[in-house]
Amino acid sequence: MNELTNMLSELCAFPSVSGRERASREGIIALASPYFDEIREDSFGNLLLIKKSARENAPKLMLDAHFDEVGMMVSELHEGGFLSVCAIGGLDTRVLSATEVTIYGKREIYGVVSSVPPHIIGRGSASAPKMNELYIDTGYDLDTLKEIVSVGDVVEFKAGLITLENNRVVSKSLDDKACVCALITTAMLCEADKLTFDLYVTLSAQEETGKNGARLVAYEIEPDIAIITDVNFARDEGVEETDSIEIGKGAGIDISSFTNIPLTRKIMQILDRAKIPYQKICEPSRTSTNNDGVSICGKGVRTALMSIPLSSMHTPSEVVCLDDIISMSRILLEIAYTPIEELL
Amino acid sequence: MKKLLKKLCLAFGPTGLEHRVESLIEGEILKSMPSDAEIIRDNLGGIYLHIKNEGAPKLMLNAHMDEVGFMVTTVAENGQIKFGSVGGINPLILGAKRVIFENGVRGVILSKPIHLLSHEEREKCPKISDMLVDIGARSKEEALSLVSIGDYFTFDSDFVEMGGSQIKAKALDDRHGCCAMLSTIASLAKNNARSKYDLYFAFTTREEIGFSSAGCATEIIKPDYAIVIESKAVLDLPEISEDRCVGRLGDGALISYADGGAIMDRALTDELISVCKENNIKYQINRAVSGGNDSAPIQIGAHGTRVALISAPSRYIHSGACVVDYCDLEEICKALYAFVTRG
Repeated sequence: MNELTNMLSELCAFPSVSGRERASREGIIALASPYFDEIREDSFGNLLLIKKSARENAPKLMLDAHFDEVGMMVSELHEGGFLSVCAIGGLDTRVLSATEVTIYGKREIYGVVSSVPPHIIGRGSASAPKMNELYIDTGYDLDTLKEIVSVGDVVEFKAGLITLENNRVVSKSLDDKACVCALITTAMLCEADKLTFDLYVTLSAQEETGKNGARLVAYEIEPDIAIITDVNFARDEGVEETDSIEIGKGAGIDISSFTNIPLTRKIMQILDRAKIPYQKICEPSRTSTNNDGVSICGKGVRTALMSIPLSSMHTPSEVVCLDDIISMSRILLEIAYTPIEELL
Repeated sequence: MKKLLKKLCLAFGPTGLEHRVESLIEGEILKSMPSDAEIIRDNLGGIYLHIKNEGAPKLMLNAHMDEVGFMVTTVAENGQIKFGSVGGINPLILGAKRVIFENGVRGVILSKPIHLLSHEEREKCPKISDMLVDIGARSKEEALSLVSIGDYFTFDSDFVEMGGSQIKAKALDDRHGCCAMLSTIASLAKNNARSKYDLYFAFTTREEIGFSSAGCATEIIKPDYAIVIESKAVLDLPEISEDRCVGRLGDGALISYADGGAIMDRALTDELISVCKENNIKYQINRAVSGGNDSAPIQIGAHGTRVALISAPSRYIHSGACVVDYCDLEEICKALYAFVTRG
């Protein structure tokens, strides 16, 4: 469990705001290369990690997790060392105040998102702030700041991984590094002579800002089967049962009109037979994950979608349970060892 | 001094449970306490150092030891924790923040994902009564084996040096004031300096909930004069007019003629200002009548006290990420030392 925590902590710490995933290229290659035969990257910023089966001409199984995370981009520098920013990906302005951030300028600097204390806020102003009412405080004077930071530089949550009870962990970027961790763990555990597929693990770029990375890399791979992995809503207070899965109860299998239903059913049958627990989650129409784009890419791809339950999505303190990451790896391993004929 | 400030800020001491801060302060006092000085304790957890000068006018310096925090009120069936705030906290600084309990258990304040928020929810300020802390417990029983109803918790926030000379931490309000008093005590000892006052350094409790023990300290000490060292919330952000910004970080110690709680003694305040001028100490005058602090109960304590207020201009106070300029803290220390040792 410690090894898993360490790997996840390292993955979450990689700078990877959407569109700037390349900043972590060397780090991720160093971390993953022991478990793969070949690593490629494309013009969009996707990273492709290949693990070959011992068998000749094995079919291709694409396992996708997005590598990017939500963040911000500098839009203006102000007197007093403040920055205005815009959101990259969906951010809730009601949780940004008092958040610590790293600004990726010429060098990394520390900042804090501004807030208004109750002493000043007065009565009747209890509405959510607009993005342009929040500033990042850097503590530098404007001239010094201009030498370090430019408009267009990205800003990332600074929130390292901590551990709670029952193998739960808190960090920024667990969406989707929890799944990245599950995929690398799968490759780490699998034995080439048992593999019925060549594994194409894709760490895709820009999921949070348009979900375009995965479809581009899928177009290149032309996989026989693609399994998209992403986080999904944990069943917390105020979250509907139909929208969510329970934290700590295993990975979720998504059933959606945008996934390949026969494939999804076969996977569930195989898991039931092997007595591997999973949770079902229904998304009657779109899934709003990389699944949707990958399924219609090129000549069309048979896809299934799997989820790890996560609390407080798109915040600096997302929560997942390590057991669910292990559960996802176990399920993926089972699929990767199954002959393709049994899945189609 | 920065090291001491860090220790003070990281100490666990929400209102009502200040004893860890108190023992830290006692340890520091003992390092530089004159042999004829006396430590006094009150019934509410306050600790005072009396540096005697019998027959001289009594001057009390005051800072509060407590910080804003939270208390466990109920635990839900799923093991998540409901809480109330101890002291005034803007709910907008709470979502997705990490917290730490007195016994070291850690948690996170959950935040409903933006994807599932209705348009109305996105516009509205959340309520603390709707918030939950996740400590990872899977049931009510498990949660209650780790924390109890009535337990306190605070922000889990590091002490960070940022930018040119700024500091970010929790509890800077008012641990920087405690630190300034301890630094004054240490300077007096180091320079073997005497004061023309019968001097009291009062470290008090319960400021953040408005029923402060500073009034009780005033009753016990009966000072002629008092200087309160506090944090003053400023809003020196871009596009905020000068009259709304209160004061500015880096422009020096912030001296108030009045705030939301008291109109300070004019003569004492002017004297403090002239001491700053004579000693080239950087200071600024508070530009807004806002906020309140222990100057109010001290002014009307006992027979009434002539009170002055010197503050660190502070951004984002009552959050886990308060920001001050360390240079302003140094100016406050210089001002206090010059004031108590002047002829």
